[in-house]
Amino acid sequence: MIAEFSASSIAFWLLSAVSIGSAAVVVFTRDVMRLAISLGVFFLTVAGWYLYFTHAFLAVAQVFLYAGGVLVLVLFAIMFLRRSKAGEPILESRHSTDSVVIAVGLGFLVVMSLRDRVPIALPQQAFPTTTELADILLGPMLPHLAAVSLLLLVACVSVLVVFGGERE
Amino acid sequence: MNFVLVASILFGLGLYGVLSRRDVIAVLASVELMLGAATVMLVGLAGLPSLSSQGGADPGTIEATGLLLLVMAAAAAAVGLALLVAIARSTGRTRTDELTDVRDRP
Amino acid sequence: MMWLADNAWVAVALPALFALLVALVGRADRLVAPLLGIGSAASVLLSGIAVLLTVAEGRTPAAATIRWLPSEEGILAIGWSADGLVGSMLVVVGFVSLMVMVYSAGYMAADEGRVRYYALLSLFLAAMSLVVVSDGLLGLFIGWELMGVCSYLLIGHWTIKPAAAAAAKKAFLVTRVGDVGLLAGIVLLWSHAGALDYESLAAVIDTLSPDILTTVALLLAVGAIGKSAQFPLHIWLPDAMEGPTPVSALIHAATMVAAGVFLIARTWPIYELAPLATYVLLGIGVATALGAALVACVQTDIKRVLAFSTISQLGFMFAALGAGYWGVAMFHLVTHAAFKSLLFLAAGSVIHSSGTQDLRKMGGLRKGMQFTFEAWTFGALALAGIFPTSGFFSKDKILYIVTSENLPAGALLFLTTAITAYYVARVTVLVFFGPRNSRKKPHETGLAMSIPPLILAIPAVGLGYLAKPSIELMAAEYVGFDLPVALIATGVALLGVAIGVFLHRSGPSADIAFERRLGGVWGWIQAGYRLDSVVQKSVSRPSLGLARAAYRHIDRDLVDRAVIGVGSTANFLGERLRRLQNGDTQWYISMGFIGLIVLYSLSVSWDRIHVWLTGGG
Repeated sequence: MIAEFSASSIAFWLLSAVSIGSAAVVVFTRDVMRLAISLGVFFLTVAGWYLYFTHAFLAVAQVFLYAGGVLVLVLFAIMFLRRSKAGEPILESRHSTDSVVIAVGLGFLVVMSLRDRVPIALPQQAFPTTTELADILLGPMLPHLAAVSLLLLVACVSVLVVFGGERE
Repeated sequence: MNFVLVASILFGLGLYGVLSRRDVIAVLASVELMLGAATVMLVGLAGLPSLSSQGGADPGTIEATGLLLLVMAAAAAAVGLALLVAIARSTGRTRTDELTDVRDRP
Repeated sequence: MMWLADNAWVAVALPALFALLVALVGRADRLVAPLLGIGSAASVLLSGIAVLLTVAEGRTPAAATIRWLPSEEGILAIGWSADGLVGSMLVVVGFVSLMVMVYSAGYMAADEGRVRYYALLSLFLAAMSLVVVSDGLLGLFIGWELMGVCSYLLIGHWTIKPAAAAAAKKAFLVTRVGDVGLLAGIVLLWSHAGALDYESLAAVIDTLSPDILTTVALLLAVGAIGKSAQFPLHIWLPDAMEGPTPVSALIHAATMVAAGVFLIARTWPIYELAPLATYVLLGIGVATALGAALVACVQTDIKRVLAFSTISQLGFMFAALGAGYWGVAMFHLVTHAAFKSLLFLAAGSVIHSSGTQDLRKMGGLRKGMQFTFEAWTFGALALAGIFPTSGFFSKDKILYIVTSENLPAGALLFLTTAITAYYVARVTVLVFFGPRNSRKKPHETGLAMSIPPLILAIPAVGLGYLAKPSIELMAAEYVGFDLPVALIATGVALLGVAIGVFLHRSGPSADIAFERRLGGVWGWIQAGYRLDSVVQKSVSRPSLGLARAAYRHIDRDLVDRAVIGVGSTANFLGERLRRLQNGDTQWYISMGFIGLIVLYSLSVSWDRIHVWLTGGG
């Protein structure tokens, strides 16, 4: 099948390749720094996927939250653990068939169950403006926003408790 | 070939990592892969008219829902990492085959 | 008095209450238990008198029914009702038990188990009253079984005696055989008639098929035969003599063993429509009467003589039932209750005084035991059927009706009468006359034990003149006095007495002479025709063998192996499953996801599976 080379399809192939590639590195690499960098690349491709789906604000939030927040946390954790486990930079895996079967089987099932319902060509959607987003988040979804904010706060407190609870 | 396949592959990769990685940091990174794949799938599917009788959700709502999901996943990741570090600090172990406390008494 | 008649349940409730009281406070004082026992006997007696007086006035005492277990087939109800039959039975039970309670105050004075004894006697009275006043077979059956339990416990009263324990077990098991028949009859009746109370049964009984009625009648008769110690289920009664003598007098002579006769009298409408069953009753009655009388002639234990005599007299009652006159059977029950309990109580005094139950070691007890001897004489005359005692009248009626119903059976009963007179004379002579064979000096046994036999002598002698009113009070068919039969019977009885006195005038030596001449036959009769060993061989040993085989092959090879197999299978599986629980979190997650995949595949392809399962329908 000869794909039609539009801007959209180029973006799709590129995103697919990079995201799958970086994910594979995360899963298979033996070097902990390579893992951290690939994870950052993966977070960025996810942001790219949001852009592909015309959700610019989500993409921005993804970059801020993950590439800027979670990734830094992961790096902290790596430093922390490497300090306690010095001299063992190599990440090991127990590559086993059952894990492969499970992973492939679940992915296959997801694809098969959605196969008939997803059209090949995606409809183009309008970019929502931040004003619209604010109207929704502060309008009908205000309770959700409040709940998530509370959750975030609880998470912050938990992190502090877990980290700071064991001060020697 | 569309995003469903890509997201499924990403999810499968993440799952494989969770099941096979021996280092807790790598396991957590794989969980992040799964979370990312799932969010991409959600946002992508939400824009499809064929999946709902109303002909697709409106973009603003999708964006708001996705945002909330992102925040929640990030909070979970933060707590997970904190727990991980705390476990490593208290037991000195960071490998999943060492952390068998569900069976053995610590 | 009127209130008592209308509330016959009091005759059940008060003894039961007194039994409980005896058990609770019987130890407080020596007099408490006997007094409470006398109270329960008196309550039964008063109830019976009240009922009889009310019936005599021509009024039916009130009855009531409690709906107990409603079911789809009908309502199982339990309640009480009273009529002349119930009243007579209550009076018999109450009067005899009153005498026995008084007597026990002396007889059991030094016994350690007195409290238990009186509690059980009161409980027995409650059970017996339940049998009597119950308005249907359901209540009767409950009381029937309770009586069995009390009988079991009282036979085994002296628990340290192995013979008593064995006798109690035997009595319980043998009567159980009869009880199974009774229960089967009740169930069959319930499934066909849909009711168990006598009133409803009488109403629907004509609609049942004769086959069903005959089966029911025969099954009920099996219950009666077991309880009333008729052939071939009589083997428990002689052994039951291991119990205290007052118990033998009350339960194993006057009341409980008569319950079989009462049962058939109470369910008489069924037997009227089942002629085959009445023939069976007649046959069993005559055979038992004659057989047991013969055995009684050669016994050396005074209580066993009386036991076989009881079996024989109950056979007379069954013969009367079989001839179709339940009123006559009931009348003989009443007179027999009086004179046989008298004989037992007197025998108890004799045993108490001489310290033995062996006839060969007694003798010459007349001097020193004047009251007991006089009472015994009245009872013995009544048992022998000599004019003018009550036994003469009641036995005369039975002989008359059986002879007119079936001549050979009547002839056998005349023979039995002669034998009865013979063994009565033999026992009397051996115990009270002749040389004294024991060094112990005979003595009276105190007021409590001397007075009751004398009081019982009054009905034992006088009841015969109340035949007409008492049978009519029970609303049964009255049979008049028949002079030819009475003359023959008296002649035969006097002949028996004469032979008995003549043969045994010089003490127990005649027995030895007989034994030498008859050899094996003597021993065969003395052992009750060795029925025990027949039962032992035909029932006990096969069932024990069966039980052993069942234990070996079913219990050990089948059940035990299955149980052990279940255990080892679980062990094996657990050993295997333990490996799943390896502590590896990722392994657990894998398991979880495998489950998810299975469920997911099922839900995705559910429509197709459904079509496949339902065959495309």
